[in-house]
Amino acid sequence: MRGLALAALFAVACSRGASRAPARQLRINLETEPPTLDWNLATDGVSIVAIEQLMRGLTRLGPDLAPEPDLAEHWDVSPDGRTYTFHLRQGVNWSDGVPLVAQHFVDSWQRLLAPATAAEYAYFLFGVRGARAYNAGKLGDFGAVGVHAPDDRTLVVELDAPLVYFPALVNFMVTFPLRRDLVERFGDRWTEPGNLVTLGPFVLAEWRHEYRLVLTANEHYWAGRPPLDRITAYMVQEGSTALVLFEQGLLDLVRIPPLEIRRYAERPEYLRRPLLRGYYYGFNVRKPPFDDVRVRRAFALAIDRAQFPGLLRGGEVPAASWIPAGMPFANAELGLPFDPERARALLREAGVDPAQLAPVKIVYNSDQTNKLVAEKVQAFWRDGLGVRVEVENREWKVYLRELSTDPPAVFRLGWGADFPDPDNFLNLFTSYSENNHTGWANPDYDALVERAAREPDTAERQRLYDRAQRILCEEDVPMVPLFDTSANFAVSPRVHGFVPSAMDLFFFEKVSAE
Amino acid sequence: MTRYALGRILAGIPVLWLVATVTFLLLRFLPGGPFDKERVLPPEIMRNLAHRYRLEGTLGEQYVDYLERLARGDLGPSYKYVGRDVADILRDSVPVSLELGAAAFALTVVGGIGLGLAAGARRDSRVDRAISLGSLVGVSAPSFVVGAGGILLFGLALRWLPAGLWEGPLYAVLPACTLAALPTAYATQLTRAQVAAVMDQDYVRTARALGVRESRVRRRHVLRNALLAVMTYFGPLLAILLTGSFVVERIFAVPGMGRFFVTAVTNRDYPLVLGVTLVYAALVVVANLAVDLLYAWLDPRIRVGRGEP
Repeated sequence: MRGLALAALFAVACSRGASRAPARQLRINLETEPPTLDWNLATDGVSIVAIEQLMRGLTRLGPDLAPEPDLAEHWDVSPDGRTYTFHLRQGVNWSDGVPLVAQHFVDSWQRLLAPATAAEYAYFLFGVRGARAYNAGKLGDFGAVGVHAPDDRTLVVELDAPLVYFPALVNFMVTFPLRRDLVERFGDRWTEPGNLVTLGPFVLAEWRHEYRLVLTANEHYWAGRPPLDRITAYMVQEGSTALVLFEQGLLDLVRIPPLEIRRYAERPEYLRRPLLRGYYYGFNVRKPPFDDVRVRRAFALAIDRAQFPGLLRGGEVPAASWIPAGMPFANAELGLPFDPERARALLREAGVDPAQLAPVKIVYNSDQTNKLVAEKVQAFWRDGLGVRVEVENREWKVYLRELSTDPPAVFRLGWGADFPDPDNFLNLFTSYSENNHTGWANPDYDALVERAAREPDTAERQRLYDRAQRILCEEDVPMVPLFDTSANFAVSPRVHGFVPSAMDLFFFEKVSAE
Repeated sequence: MTRYALGRILAGIPVLWLVATVTFLLLRFLPGGPFDKERVLPPEIMRNLAHRYRLEGTLGEQYVDYLERLARGDLGPSYKYVGRDVADILRDSVPVSLELGAAAFALTVVGGIGLGLAAGARRDSRVDRAISLGSLVGVSAPSFVVGAGGILLFGLALRWLPAGLWEGPLYAVLPACTLAALPTAYATQLTRAQVAAVMDQDYVRTARALGVRESRVRRRHVLRNALLAVMTYFGPLLAILLTGSFVVERIFAVPGMGRFFVTAVTNRDYPLVLGVTLVYAALVVVANLAVDLLYAWLDPRIRVGRGEP
């Protein structure tokens, strides 16, 4: 009996070894169940991977991250910068054969902004005239909101104030067009296979919740059928299991867990992509000793960022300024360098005796990377400044609640780009940003960020952003940028043309598999 | 007997209510809410979310609202998986955990009793020592170690079995064995101890003296009496195995409900936490009842459903 079982296993093993990976098919790891495929409601990095294959928007980002025409063939901006007119491409059909019209965008934006939809990312369109009031339920008539479809091929958007990055904003999934008739017909189940109608390079064929999504080529895609027949996206949560499945030939594309990166670094399957994602330490400027700007500067100067890549080994890029390298208007010259001498002098100048100072507490959310970083920073401050430092960790949601109610003296956070414009990063620390947990407010900084968002002239915009970054990272220092992160992949040699974007997005439209 | 079973099931309802209430309160005292995110949401959007998910009003009002819905059999919407109800999520994931759990349970029953009997019947033999050592290892090794070891050996070194996914019987081998490892080892120890104790009983000696064949002695006289204690363990074990294991499902990418015991809590997906907890509690009630009924069948001295004489 035992012999028989072993023989059966062996036979299966042999047949497995002989079988080839299916041609023109790609098997990827999504890691977790996408919380939704409803692009009005999606907010997370998993849902967007699936949605970006199924749908398209008004614009798409080119290799240099500049917005390029997509569903909009071209667009005009009014001289005052407040009105955008998008001219839609002709001959685009949904997967059920219905032609795309401008009203589909109006319907989508109305649903995104409607209070009853409770879309978390409704605020992406808060720059549109009346949108914020409509979302808050203060404006009942959507006709008063600044988005209209005068004819089937024209979409007119009116903004409260000029936003030079608006064409980049409408590349984001929550703004994609929507078929109101189908949402009304199927209710919450409109995104299930069989109900979901899309217009991107792939269509949804199967969704086995918590296990896999299957996408197949859209034969009628307006830009031409994609080379792949099928994408199977599994949801393998455990990174090391996914990597073994990759090594077994059962997956073609996986993320490499941090501990395995070193083992993969020299292999041909390894692919690293620096991201527009920053990792920073924030100071609560209301809590002593960080209410003194000299102390904040001293603590920032005592950090040797060059040590992080060797510590974490995930392709981290040290960064002293906040706009990530690779994003327009980034400036690597800015920010405070590592200078422990000057740091100690500043502490003395502030009248702080390191030996007398109460222990400084760093709080982070429980995670291996965060722990390594916190312990490193602890060592920098202890050895460089002579202060006592404690580190504490918290479960993620407990941590978030603490940040919004009583932020710790020193905390960590990250920020990834939603759209490739510096406004997305610098807006974070304006006095009115919900994401500014530092308690720091500087009207000059706020004004610079607001002016830059309206400034069409590139050179002037660069000057404004440089000035804002100087205030943020050199003068007032409510936060210290540490490094930008990278994505690390293992890609099967049978896959060609896979180019992950700096925003950690994947597009499989041009990918092929032998 | 039927009346007794029905009575026990009805008595389970207050148990479930208690479980629901305690879980509801514990969740609400946990800091952090379902919509606390890295990107903080503007206040008007938080209000819209609270309205959509009926998180407005006092805790007492929300509790009454929840119980009313529960009484109607409505477990509510998931906060994390937009547009899906908890019932949908359970409908998709429970069958997978049941399949995997049933396989692991079968392995445990057959393996644990078989090995325990083999060891207990030949106390201090080489077989006994080997089995005892093996079960000691099995009881001590956590499932992530057993699972990782299985993946390394059968997935990477020998390449016999897939390291994960859920595509057919072959894919169930590693997770089912990993899930069964600890309970099998424990059931082996339990059975061995009971068998060893029963082997010394007078009635066993008498049966042997009367010339009853050894295999019949073991089956009829030893095993049946030894199993009573082991059955007590199998009841709750069945509930534990059928509701899935976070570790095993995560390591092997099995789409069962075990993962939600952890992820639903970290997401503060209150309705989903309550849903999986209630399923688990209901299974415990049913499994314990099944064990009590089996008891009566195994040992005629135990009578269910009648008062004391």
